[in-house]
Amino acid sequence: MKALLRYALARVAARRARALLAAGGIAAAAAMLGAATTVAYSLATGFDRAADRAGLPHAIARFDSLSVEDVRRRALALPNVESASFRLEKQGVHVHSEGNFNDHGKVQGIRGGRRGYAIVAGRDIRARGEIVIERGLEREWGVELGDAMDLSEFRSSITLRVVGVAVTPDNVAFPLTNGPRLYARYDDVRELVGEAPGAVNVALLWVQEPDLLDVTLAQARAASFGIDELTFVTRDGIRSLINQAAGIVIALLVAFSLVAVGAAVMMLSAASAADVQRRLRSIGVLRTLGATPRTVAGGHALEAALVALPAGIVGILAGTLAVLGPTERLLEALSELGAGAALVPPLAGCLLALVGIVALAAGWPAWRAASRPPVETLGGADLVQISRRGIFGAGTLGVGLRLTLSRPARAATTVAVLASAAAVVLLMLSLAGLLQRLETDPETVGKRYRLTVSAPVEAVPRIARLPGVAGATARYETVAADSFSLGETFELIGFAADHVEFEAPPLAEGRRITGEREVEVGLGLAQALNLSPGGTLAAQLASGEELRYRVSGVVRALENEGRVAYVGATRLARAQPFLTSTIAILISPGATKESVAAELAAIGYFAEPVVGVTVQNGGFLDVLAALLRSLAGVVGLVCLYVLAQMLALTAQERRRTIAVLQTFGAGRRHVAAVLAGSALLVATLGAACGIVLERFVVGPAAASLAASYVSLPLVAGAADAALVTGGLVALAVLAAAWVGGSAARRPIVVGLRED
Amino acid sequence: MLDGVDLHAAPGELVAVVGRSGSGKSTLLHLLGGLDRADGGTITVAGVKLEAQSQKGLTALRRTSIGFVFQSFHLLPELSGLENVLLPARLAGGGARAGLRTRELIATLGLADAAERLPDTLSGGEQQRLAIARALVNEPALVLADEPTGNLDGESAAVVLDLLRRIADGGRAVVLVTHDREATAQADRVIELREGRVV
Repeated sequence: MKALLRYALARVAARRARALLAAGGIAAAAAMLGAATTVAYSLATGFDRAADRAGLPHAIARFDSLSVEDVRRRALALPNVESASFRLEKQGVHVHSEGNFNDHGKVQGIRGGRRGYAIVAGRDIRARGEIVIERGLEREWGVELGDAMDLSEFRSSITLRVVGVAVTPDNVAFPLTNGPRLYARYDDVRELVGEAPGAVNVALLWVQEPDLLDVTLAQARAASFGIDELTFVTRDGIRSLINQAAGIVIALLVAFSLVAVGAAVMMLSAASAADVQRRLRSIGVLRTLGATPRTVAGGHALEAALVALPAGIVGILAGTLAVLGPTERLLEALSELGAGAALVPPLAGCLLALVGIVALAAGWPAWRAASRPPVETLGGADLVQISRRGIFGAGTLGVGLRLTLSRPARAATTVAVLASAAAVVLLMLSLAGLLQRLETDPETVGKRYRLTVSAPVEAVPRIARLPGVAGATARYETVAADSFSLGETFELIGFAADHVEFEAPPLAEGRRITGEREVEVGLGLAQALNLSPGGTLAAQLASGEELRYRVSGVVRALENEGRVAYVGATRLARAQPFLTSTIAILISPGATKESVAAELAAIGYFAEPVVGVTVQNGGFLDVLAALLRSLAGVVGLVCLYVLAQMLALTAQERRRTIAVLQTFGAGRRHVAAVLAGSALLVATLGAACGIVLERFVVGPAAASLAASYVSLPLVAGAADAALVTGGLVALAVLAAAWVGGSAARRPIVVGLRED
Repeated sequence: MLDGVDLHAAPGELVAVVGRSGSGKSTLLHLLGGLDRADGGTITVAGVKLEAQSQKGLTALRRTSIGFVFQSFHLLPELSGLENVLLPARLAGGGARAGLRTRELIATLGLADAAERLPDTLSGGEQQRLAIARALVNEPALVLADEPTGNLDGESAAVVLDLLRRIADGGRAVVLVTHDREATAQADRVIELREGRVV
């Protein structure tokens, strides 16, 4: 073994440049693997980690205020309940600190017992006058420990001192939520909201057997006589909601890792096979001297592992560090905690797997070669397959193209890897673009009107005549419940004109409405109520009226998770007389929102711009988009590695060809041009195949994974496609310059002697 | 490897360098062609001192003033005969004029049939004649031939040697390295190398 190690070390030292090139490729693949593992592991385990640290209850019950003794008696009487904490919660509290304010604060009065939140800075509350705030608020407002925080509720207000910062994974963090979560002593909150002593409205329940939680909650419902508005949220329910959101990111990363590992394995295998071809005579000599195939293969594997280990460490560290910041911000937005040292085992596993794969990829062709009769291997390299294609020119680029085609299997594999990488990059870019369009562009989800104004319906003709206005109509929106299942609520949207002109999510099935008794339902609502064209939607309005509609079509609407229904305005307005409308305004081509808003202001109406559906989550989406773009950048590095490795193999195999070219006066530039011809062929084919793959396979698959109730336009645009194609071409030229420069520096005389 | 070698090849002269394996013949040719650098001494090709040239300068010199002919032809297997011959002209940036010259050269050497075919479908003699055409396409002052008949039968070898003689007669300096005494019959001058020294 020592001799084997010494031999492997000597070979690595003797071929430093080649070892360095291989190390660069392994480092690039390791960087991708490290980045993907960091994000995927952090997201996949983030909820459980935060929930365990916070001691998140197995279930949270909310109800109308009751005396704590009554609730405690009922809760602790349940057979599976291990412990319970009781709180007084108030939503919609005005919160003010250091010049910032919010009217949707959710403050909880703590009565002791288990907390259910994790303190990440400062300490927990110990006395009256103290408050713990959620981390999202601390980051968003820049609140520091010791700062004062004012809470106001009607005529009552209190000022508390911030003593700690907490993370509670029972919801995403402020500002993703419209109000921050705050924790203070029970008496402070009770006095603020004016409740009777001992009144609570939240119970946190921890059970002995989480598997039996369903049974416990059923028993709790059975014992809830006299408790109004009782709702439960379970830890598993929160987890599944969060995992659903993170699922697409994790699925993307898995695809991304597979591309990285696939590229690394393919290129390392090709490099090893080429290297073994070059060294067949040495292998034959070793076999003649009595070395077993195992020894020969072991030597190759060890040599590869010696290069792969340090390169893998550097790559994994680089990949991890590149995405650690955005990942931490993403976890913060989800009220989760970073993985920290828990990342070490999976990253170490990745490193071991990578080194193992590299060693296997190097050892396998050597083992196969060494298993042949020594007399065959002493004969030297197998003949390189020669291309007979003559469709390309015979200049330097044309020679390069023909060199690539002389190895069709390798060229096809390289194109496949580049195409997969290009498809992943395109998907990430289109996802990042979509996230930002969802934030700013209402057209993305089918809203064609750009402005709304609060104005009486009678003002519609006057507004429609204003310069720059292409159309205007009254739009009504109200929350309704399904008459057969009152728990299922949805948004009922009525337009006075044809809604398709103003708001037209794409049809999934059926047709558009043609009359006042028909409805188009969102796919989310159709899935919840099992509706299809021809079915009946019975809408219970707040006024007590019930409206029945025949379902004409199902639309892919993103708003309200697809729980929407489009109807004519006349019946709706008649059934709910106090329903106020807004005027939806279409802008003419050439006009701007600003110019039309100015026209409206001139006649006394204040225009509101229509924003995307996710405007409140802007920060979160920006983080996601940044994360996706940084991952796309890492995939670009892998493409560079794949191209450089392919060219290095070509230069290695065709060393004599390059030497002949140099003999006739080819300089470094010419050699680079020959290699550029090789690389450009696979790069352009890879880009073209990647665009097709993303458009017809990966994009639609990812869109359906993201949300089944809506059509998300996840097909890359022309700009993204041009960017990826241009990027691959640039990478091809860069790789050719790099490898060409190195190949041109080798002694010409040695190249001429190559077989 | 080489010691005290003094060689002058004038335009129109065919100089044969003979010697056993390891005598330094190929090394001499590599030094003359600027493919390798000498530790000492002076080499001048077409008025250019090689030792004073950078790699870039040597590359340019090879492109314009030196043509090579190898024992194993070294034609690029992916290119047709014509494309192989044209390659040095393309490297030198030659345009339509180079194409015309190449076709004339191919016609002169009787290679019209071989021009459109790939090298591995040609005989050794045809390949070597194409290689000679390739060496001449940029009209170099010096042609270096390293064992050009080593892989050929007697008849083909005679054709190639005759061709080299005609090239020299055309006003170029030709240095022919060979270990075959019979190949020196066409030479104006024969130099023998033994253990790196002229004897």
